[in-house]
Formats: sequence, structure tokens, C-alpha cells
Amino acid sequence: MPSIETEGLTKRFGSLTAVDHLNFDVEAGEIFGLLGPNGAGKTTTIRMLASLISPSEGYARVSGHDVVKESLKVREIVGILTENPSLYDRLTAYENMEFFAEAYGITDRVERRDRIRELLELFDLWERRDDKAGNFSKGMKQKLAITRAIVHNPEILFLDEPTSGLDPKSSKDIRDLMEELSRRENQTILLSTHRLEDADRLCSRVMIIKDGGSVVVGSPEELRNKIAGTPLLEIRLRKADERIVRSVEALEQVSAVSLDADPGRMLISLDDVEAATPLVVRSVVEAGGMVLSVNVVEPSLEEAYLKLVGGDSE
Amino acid sequence: MRIEKALLVFRKDWREISRNWQVLMPILVVPLLFTVAIPAAIILIPGLMNAPTSSTAFLGLMVENLPGQIQAQLSGMDENQVMIYVMLLYFIAPFFLVIPVMASSVIASDSFAGEKERKTIEALLATPITDGELLFGKALVSFVPSMLVTGGSFLLYSATVDLLTYEMFGRLLLPNLEWVLLIFGLAPTVSLAGIGLTVMISARVKGFKEAQQISAVLVVPILMMLFAQASGVMLFGPLMVGALTLVFILVDILLFRLGVKIFRREKILSQR
Repeated sequence: MPSIETEGLTKRFGSLTAVDHLNFDVEAGEIFGLLGPNGAGKTTTIRMLASLISPSEGYARVSGHDVVKESLKVREIVGILTENPSLYDRLTAYENMEFFAEAYGITDRVERRDRIRELLELFDLWERRDDKAGNFSKGMKQKLAITRAIVHNPEILFLDEPTSGLDPKSSKDIRDLMEELSRRENQTILLSTHRLEDADRLCSRVMIIKDGGSVVVGSPEELRNKIAGTPLLEIRLRKADERIVRSVEALEQVSAVSLDADPGRMLISLDDVEAATPLVVRSVVEAGGMVLSVNVVEPSLEEAYLKLVGGDSE
Repeated sequence: MRIEKALLVFRKDWREISRNWQVLMPILVVPLLFTVAIPAAIILIPGLMNAPTSSTAFLGLMVENLPGQIQAQLSGMDENQVMIYVMLLYFIAPFFLVIPVMASSVIASDSFAGEKERKTIEALLATPITDGELLFGKALVSFVPSMLVTGGSFLLYSATVDLLTYEMFGRLLLPNLEWVLLIFGLAPTVSLAGIGLTVMISARVKGFKEAQQISAVLVVPILMMLFAQASGVMLFGPLMVGALTLVFILVDILLFRLGVKIFRREKILSQR
């Protein structure tokens, strides 16, 4: 049974259709990315899946529970990092955690204290537990908000733009933490982001949405290959000339060769990079080329994304 | 309804409010004005300045309109005593309804609209706490402090009045039946009405200040009571206080039914 399944999931606010007939499944333990520009419908989708708002049409099940009919059950088993950290600035880090731990049903005082301590130590916040959340930096607030979202060890975790607005170091910390959570706690994570490096690094599959509708679903690799094209072979030569280019073009596995502006850099399109690379290198050497390096250049997820959403990658 | 979840919300909000001077200041300063500054001025100033004619004339009108039962209480008192007695025991009484309304609406504005303004509402609504538990916890955190402040103000007011008038009257003027009914009967129901209205206002506005400004109109009916009392149209005797309490109980039921109807997490999130 998938952890999350939706069919025709739609949300309308008056005349605006924020989410338009989304169909997708997320398997247990998977990190699934929801990619799209601002206003694409990512937050609304997460709010529906977390039983915060109800769909106008279609349905969604989370761990087998209907998000409308069993909303309380859904809210018990999911954790959510909202768009804003949603922390109580006048409460200390520990008091924030204590409130949410109890709200999510950890009623035993000792169990609650141990769980909070374990998480705050994991996120390097234990020493600051008695500081008011309002005095925390943006990165620390985000870490505390993630800690809050997982305090009850939820089966499914919704993370809405977890690295948005953070500096590179804090972003990396958060990404590392997500990997750790997926590996250590085997949690299903639905990650909404417009940061492609996050999706590329963390997600087993991503869904690109635009104007509320699904554009494509697949693994980052599939999307790169399908949409941005197959990998290219890059050969750097001491000096490239027309004779070398012609000899490579003559090979039947080669579909195109280009000489880059960068002197001595050839980019070769191949049907099967792995199989054809030795033949291409031999052909270059036999034509008198002095090979400096050979690399496979993967198309980026960004290229695929930009092709699909039309340029707003932020 | 799981009462422990409502109490959890209550404790969390209580902690927040007790650290928020923007909320605490009006709740503490306004009662101090009503309980110490105004009665002290009423008692001490006429003695020092030989009460001005205009206030004597105004008081004469008010005394004339008093029911015979109360006029009987005034027999044997000199003009100064009558003025102090009527002012302290009758004229000031409606002000004590301002205290619970003001306190509960300030806290309720912070508790409901404040969460929206500070963008903490979404994580709270995402928890497995039901709408009813959330509403009850937040109503409780508005009601309990407002009742504590009202009760405390009454104690302080009684102490101030008795301390400053004992020598003049030779007996303790407060507490009396009217005031006990007012503070422990009418004030809680008026406070609950204030909370009910503020909840409804808060659900429709974006922030604490906006909610507070709109809920300030709640004081208007109380000021009308004040003028009605001063002109003798209405008097806070035991019967009137009892009747008003019953009316406000009905108003509370109506407002809370409406409040529960309006308090929908989806609406709160989509109206941000």
C-alpha cells in the first residue's frame, strides 16, 4: 500500500484553481519531491495531504486514511514543516517542543523529555534549549521547526521549502538531516521545493507541477534523460582539428559532434555512452589526437525543469 | 472533547501572554485606574475643594431618579456622604464590566488573531487537536485571567473604598449583594460575550491590532449602561443585575454557537 495516494486531487479558491486533478503515489520510505515555481500549488497540495484544508474534488489517502473523513487520524500520523517555521517566539526552544510533543500525544513526561533531548542533541540545539525561539537565527529556527515536525516520530513527513532563505551552510545541514531521517527512521518524506539541488540530491522521485497540475513524474535521472536529453561525452584534447572531428563523426554510434569555443573541447552525442566511449577514444587517438581527459556530462535536472516550467527556477 | 488537550492549549497561551507586555499592560493599568485612582479622587477631592456646584446639581438629578428603596439608604446622610455613597456604589458599577470585557477581548485578540499575525497558526492547526478543543482552550485562556483581574480589582476597590470611607460612614460599604452579583454573576457572562465576539472578529481579520480595534466597540453597550445608570433610567440593583445576567447567558450561548460555526481551520488558513 502506498504511503500517499491521490486521485484527481483538486482545490479551488473561488474562481482560482490552485491544484488541478493531481494523481500520484508515494511509496513507504521514499523521499518524493514536489517541484514547481512559486504559486504552482505545492503548499496547497501539502495542506490537503496534512488534513489542514479539504479538497474541492478528488481524494487523497495518507497511510490508508482518507484526509477528509479521518482528518484527526491523518494529523496524528504526519509531521509537517510549514512554509514558515511557526514557532512561538516567546517560548523557549524546549517549551515549544514540549507543547507540540504533548499535542501529538506524547503524554508520558519522561518519554517526552527523552525524545526532546534526543532530537535537540541531534540538531545541535540542546545547549540552547532554554533560549527563547525568537532569539534564534533563521537557520536555527528552521532546524527547531523540523525537530518539532518529527517529535512524535511521524510515519510521513511533509516538508514545505525546508531550505528556503537559508545560507549555504544551513541548507547543507538541513539536507544532511533529511538524509539522516530517511535513512535512520525510514520515514516517507514529501519534500516541496523549488531548489533543484535539494530535489536532485535527496529525492528518489520528483513530480514537477505547474499551475496546479502535474507536468511529469519520475526519478531525477529519468527526467534529466527524458527531458533534458541523454548524457554527452566530453573529450579534452591538446589540440582539436577537423580531421579528428570527421573521424569521430564517421562512427555509426555517434549522432552529433560539436567543437566547443573552449579550445580542444569536443562534445559528442551518443546513443549509448557507456558502450561507445572506448570506440570514440580509439578513433580520436588514431586520428592523431592527444587526449587530456574524458568525461561523461550528465544533463542537469535544472535543464529538464526549465524546459518544463518555462524558466522560473529561482 | 479531550479536556487535557484544551488545557494544553490554555497552558501554552498562558505562558505566552504572561511574557507579552503589549497584552499585560492594558489589563493591569485600566483596573488600577478604576479601583484606586477614581474612587480615591471621588472621596478625597470634594473634601479638599468643596464639591463644585455642577457636580452637586448632577448628583441631585441622579439621586432624585433613584428608587425609593435606595433613597431610604441615603436618609440621614449629608450631601457629601450622599455623593460619595451614590458615586462609589452605583455610578462606578458599570465600569467594572469594562474590566472583564477589555481583559478578555485583549487576550482573545492576541490568542486568535495574534497567532495568525505571528504565523504560528498553521503548525497549531496541523496538530491532532480538534476545533472544539482549540476553541475551548483559547476561550479559557481569555476567560480565566479576565476573571482573576476582575475579582482582584473588586477586592482592591472594596479595600480602597472601605479604607477611605469607614471613618465617614462608620461601617464597611463593600462588599454588598449588588456588587457580589455584579462581579460573580454578570461580569463572567459579559466576559464570555466579549470572548465570543472577539473570536468571531479574529477569524475574519489578519492581526492582533485589527482585532483589538474592532473589539473595542464591545465597550459601547457598557458605556450605554453607564449613562443609563447615571440618568436613573436603569439601576444596578439585585433584580436588574440578575436579569442582565440571564440576558447575557443567552447572548453567550448564541455567540458561542456562532463562534464554533465560524472557527473552521480551513477558513482561518485560506483567509491569511
